[in-house]
Amino acid sequence: MSSRKKVLLKVIILGDSGVGKTSLMNQFVNKKFSNQYKATIGADFLTKEVIVDDRIVTMQIWDTAGQERFQSLGVAFYRGADCCVLVFDVTAPNTFKSLESWRDEFLIQASPRDPDHFPFVILGNKVDLDNRAVSAKRAQQWCQSKNDIPYFETSAKEAVNVELAFQTIARNALAQETEAELYNEFPDQIKLNANDNNRNRDGDNCAC
Amino acid sequence: MPSTTDPAAEQKDRLIAAVKKEVKQLMEEAVTRKFVHEESGGVTALCGAVEACLGQGLRRRALGLFKTSSTTALLHKIAKHCPEAALVSARVLSAEGAPATRSASGVERRPSAPRPPLHKRGSGSLLGSQPPPTYRYLWIRIALFERQLAKIIEHLVNNATRYYERDALVADPDYGSILSSLLVGPCALEYSKAKAPVCFWTDPPADELVQRHRMSAGTTTPPSVRRPILNFRRSLNASSDDNASVNGGSGNSTASSAKDYVESLHQNSRATLLYGKNNVRVQPKDVEEAMPGYLSLHQSAAGLMIKWTPNQLMNGYAESEGIDKSIYWAMSLQVCVWEVVYVHVHRSQASDALILVGQDGVQRPPIHFPKGGHLLSFLSNLETGLLPHGQLDPPLWSQRGTGKVFGRNKGRRRPMPSLCESGENEESEVDEVAGDYVFRIVNNAIADREAMRHSLLERVIQSPPRTPRRTLASTSTTSSDSSTMSVDCPPIIGNLTQTTITQVSLEQAASIELVCSTMRRQIISRAFYGWLAYCRHLSTVRTHLSGLVHPNIVPGENTDEGLTDAIWRSMMDERGAIVDKDEVYRLVYYGGVQHDIRKEVWPFLLGYYEFNTTFQERQEQDCTYRRQYETTMSEWLCVEAIVKQRDREATAASIARLSESSGKPKPEVEPCEVFEDDCSVISDNPPVVSPEPSENEQKRLEVKPVLSRAPSIDEVDNIELDEEKNENGAKINGETDTCEDITFDDDDDDEVCIKSVVENPDMRRESIAEIKRLAEGIVQKGDGRGLLCSVDSGNANLNGNDNKSIEEPAPSHAHSVIVTNPSVDLAVTGGSPASGGTTVTLAPASPARSPLGVLREESHSAGASFDTLDPESRPDNRSNCVSPASSNGGVYSNELVESFALNLHRIEKDVQRCDRNYPFFTDENLDKLRNIMCTYVWEHLDMGYMQGMCDLAAPLLVIMRDEAVAHALFARLMCKAKDNFPSGQAMDAYFADMRSLIQILDCELYELMHAHGDYTHFYFCYRWFLLDFKRELLYQDVFSAWELIWVARYVASEHMVLFIALALLETYRDVILANSMDFTDIIKFFNEMAERHDASAVLSLARDLVLQVQTLIENK
Repeated sequence: MSSRKKVLLKVIILGDSGVGKTSLMNQFVNKKFSNQYKATIGADFLTKEVIVDDRIVTMQIWDTAGQERFQSLGVAFYRGADCCVLVFDVTAPNTFKSLESWRDEFLIQASPRDPDHFPFVILGNKVDLDNRAVSAKRAQQWCQSKNDIPYFETSAKEAVNVELAFQTIARNALAQETEAELYNEFPDQIKLNANDNNRNRDGDNCAC
Repeated sequence: MPSTTDPAAEQKDRLIAAVKKEVKQLMEEAVTRKFVHEESGGVTALCGAVEACLGQGLRRRALGLFKTSSTTALLHKIAKHCPEAALVSARVLSAEGAPATRSASGVERRPSAPRPPLHKRGSGSLLGSQPPPTYRYLWIRIALFERQLAKIIEHLVNNATRYYERDALVADPDYGSILSSLLVGPCALEYSKAKAPVCFWTDPPADELVQRHRMSAGTTTPPSVRRPILNFRRSLNASSDDNASVNGGSGNSTASSAKDYVESLHQNSRATLLYGKNNVRVQPKDVEEAMPGYLSLHQSAAGLMIKWTPNQLMNGYAESEGIDKSIYWAMSLQVCVWEVVYVHVHRSQASDALILVGQDGVQRPPIHFPKGGHLLSFLSNLETGLLPHGQLDPPLWSQRGTGKVFGRNKGRRRPMPSLCESGENEESEVDEVAGDYVFRIVNNAIADREAMRHSLLERVIQSPPRTPRRTLASTSTTSSDSSTMSVDCPPIIGNLTQTTITQVSLEQAASIELVCSTMRRQIISRAFYGWLAYCRHLSTVRTHLSGLVHPNIVPGENTDEGLTDAIWRSMMDERGAIVDKDEVYRLVYYGGVQHDIRKEVWPFLLGYYEFNTTFQERQEQDCTYRRQYETTMSEWLCVEAIVKQRDREATAASIARLSESSGKPKPEVEPCEVFEDDCSVISDNPPVVSPEPSENEQKRLEVKPVLSRAPSIDEVDNIELDEEKNENGAKINGETDTCEDITFDDDDDDEVCIKSVVENPDMRRESIAEIKRLAEGIVQKGDGRGLLCSVDSGNANLNGNDNKSIEEPAPSHAHSVIVTNPSVDLAVTGGSPASGGTTVTLAPASPARSPLGVLREESHSAGASFDTLDPESRPDNRSNCVSPASSNGGVYSNELVESFALNLHRIEKDVQRCDRNYPFFTDENLDKLRNIMCTYVWEHLDMGYMQGMCDLAAPLLVIMRDEAVAHALFARLMCKAKDNFPSGQAMDAYFADMRSLIQILDCELYELMHAHGDYTHFYFCYRWFLLDFKRELLYQDVFSAWELIWVARYVASEHMVLFIALALLETYRDVILANSMDFTDIIKFFNEMAERHDASAVLSLARDLVLQVQTLIENK
């Protein structure tokens, strides 16, 4: 079971509590919305197989607790992430304001290889509600200012844009993954050789 | 011959049946794989069947100039009316536009009859002459992938008259709708162009894993006996025979073989599932009646396997407990196809039976297939599976072309109707004649191998794929294989004499013996050292862990029933005090608390009541606590009002900005202004919103009430008003002052009260009863209360008592005592507005307790009268008043307000989401929960609200029902629990302890976890420890788990959670081990298993584990 080789994309969903992270994840993976979700404690993840550019990839979507003080525990999950999804609630400006800190926090904790180009996706959730307080324009502007992060307005409840958003997430994550692979292979090989050389030399020394 | 009345109806029947069959096939494929490949044969077959249906009775003339395919033309035609068709039509055109495909496109070809998939699957060669499948039925294909097919057909059916003859299938009211509804399923599937790896299986969900495990565990002994948990030898891999002897090889091996067996029934990496059919009946030996079961055909490296498993084993989940499954295991069939020589087929009216005859001539019990082509499809799968090394003789399909399948067979054996014919043509099936067939299974590989066997024995081992061998044989061969390396196996040498070993010279044998003995010694010594090191390590771990459990073991005799009502009553003396608290603990530890008395017992267990207190004392304690609680509540309610106001401004501002940005200027909202006329906005309730800024401002100028939380040190600026509000002021000031103030404050309080009343309707009912009780108690002993109030001026309320006694003593007094909303409610319910006199006298009493409370109280009493009077009058009143909440925007430190606001929002978000699926949590009770949260957080603002607190408070509220007491217990609970939250250190300690415990209690699991590396922190336990398993168990189980945790502190272990966690882990250890789960797998597994655990088993296992550690430490 574990031996099977397939592409695994690790996606982290972050955002203030109550913005709809769990709902989005479940809408995407299970195609259903429930108003029964509880506040996420700890972390949970769901996997879903998707097809990106004719490749089958498994998305491992991590849903985290929204309260920032729990994030210290999330570090283990951030590591190795291929994409980070930042969610805010379009009816709650504060959740939008904290996007910045979520992003920074993630970059610090996950310390990706290339922070400037690490794929983020912003989701403005709950567009089905009437009392909208963050305009699409404002969100767009912010996203543009941050290296053109893709921005989607979603509704987990009514499944608006969720599929599209996660397709983008998967695609961007896949791009990141392949890049990471490229990065990973070369230095490793070189290192390995270097080690071997050292060892050989040591061996020689011993023999002498 | 077919006995049908109407050939047209007959044909329709057949067409629909073909579609049905294809849909079923496709859906099944979609289930085993996660999605269907676009070029899958099933898709093509389905498209063919649909095409046939659509083609039947189509009016050619209606289609006009389209010459290509009639149905394709039809599509283009209806594209004008049907948007789905338009979409597909466009896609088809663009696809056809691709060069060369057009001419090759098989779209033109309209098959005369649907093709059942068997034809295609049975022999791939048939497809050879046809164009590549992709281009056949192009538009249907595209419509299917675009998920529009069902809709298009629906459209066709609805408008059938336009395009179809009257007797066409599509025009038929029944068949037409059946056809379109049949296709809904396939349209919902996911199709993929990607080449999926052959074994592309998703991780089975946790349920599935557990079920598989239970099935396999059925053969073994019950879990408790199955495996000694404390088994040091287990990890001693060095000495292999130790393992075998200690674990009683038999038990373990059957377990593992059963596990393998269950695993093997599923599609997995080792074996491909070629065929599976449930409810196939087999009559095992010693059983009267044929039993239904699951028949499956597997292709694995070792060859083809036919398996039949009785349903009793398959449905193991439901009835797993208590039934001895060994009989069923004995009944199940496992036949290696290569051991079978003949396959007899007996067809009769009732059923199709298949009998396997082995090499030894023994017949297997007949396998009865349900009617309907299942036998045929089994045989064809079997035949396919036999390829390339074997075949059925005579072949099943070779003569399809002639239309006389089994012709040869017929000639050789006996006359019989063609099997295939019946499968192909429904007509002949109607009056099918019983018939027998015999097939021989020919293994081409055997002959070759027989030849090789003598020359080189090892080859047999290395070419396993088609080796006919029983399991026994295989083990013996493998063991002989391995024994060529390890040396001490004389029998094998005997076996091998023919071949290689004959060449081994005698001197070599002698040296081998020498080597052998050396190795043996080395192995033993290594094992010994391993064991020694291990023991040392264990002893250190043990000393570390000794702190986890109490040294003395409390016996669990006579505790089966736990703490029942009767026992509980009998343990109390006449005054209500409990003498033997240890016995209570012991009973609860082993047996839990009877649900009915949880409400009574929990306060003791959590240490809120002392065991030696009397009824009366406890009642007083409650009163006092409730008063405190309500005072605190009144404090934060003020701040809440401010917060609400600010929120509204913020929202208004953002909305304004939003509308501005969208080009629609709105009336500007001036933040300052809005903020000042707080009083209007204090409460969110619609009736209250009637801002009168000017007046308010006026008031505000002259009055600057200082409302401060007890700890905050706001100095008294305006003595007139501030006295009561400020702590110091309150203490210093005499009653007279407060009396004056009352006139002012009534109003504000009124608002607040109103608001809170509206907001917390629940509190009313609750409090009324309580307040009455409380009031009675108080009236009885006014002194006591005074003491509790513990303040000088507070004694004034003794006067209040007198006053009260004048009119409606009990309720009104209660009022005065209880500062917040509930009191108001009381007034309302009582229908007797508190008289001004009462209020005045009462007022002084309250300052003693807390300045804020006073404020509330006074005003409230006045407010109470208001309430009862009429709601209309309120707004006026309010406008006149200066609400403390409103005005103290400047008085509360901004920081305080902000931090509380933050917490408030979080609390609200989480309370709303707390256990919404649990019926107890109506809005009313959620409000209670919210109050508890807010009050606690207000008291611990430095700590603040943390996610999870709601979960901890919820069960307490469910049991206690009363808000104040629930709060008391929650506060108790949090004393310990707060360390688990990220600000505390307890979690890391738990993880470390968990690690050590697993290390000593279950080495195997420990090794697995270590192997996967990332286990340094046991993150999957995080929620367990944080919420004391609240999320893992159902409510009634949470209750017992919590009781256990609380009392374990006094009985067995400070850290019972650890052992419950361990018990959970142990419960599923085999599943975890069998699937070799890594870090993420386990997290997923346990998240999925949440609320599905067998709590009582887990808890008793937890107790066992404690006992084990205790004994372990004792006899070190």
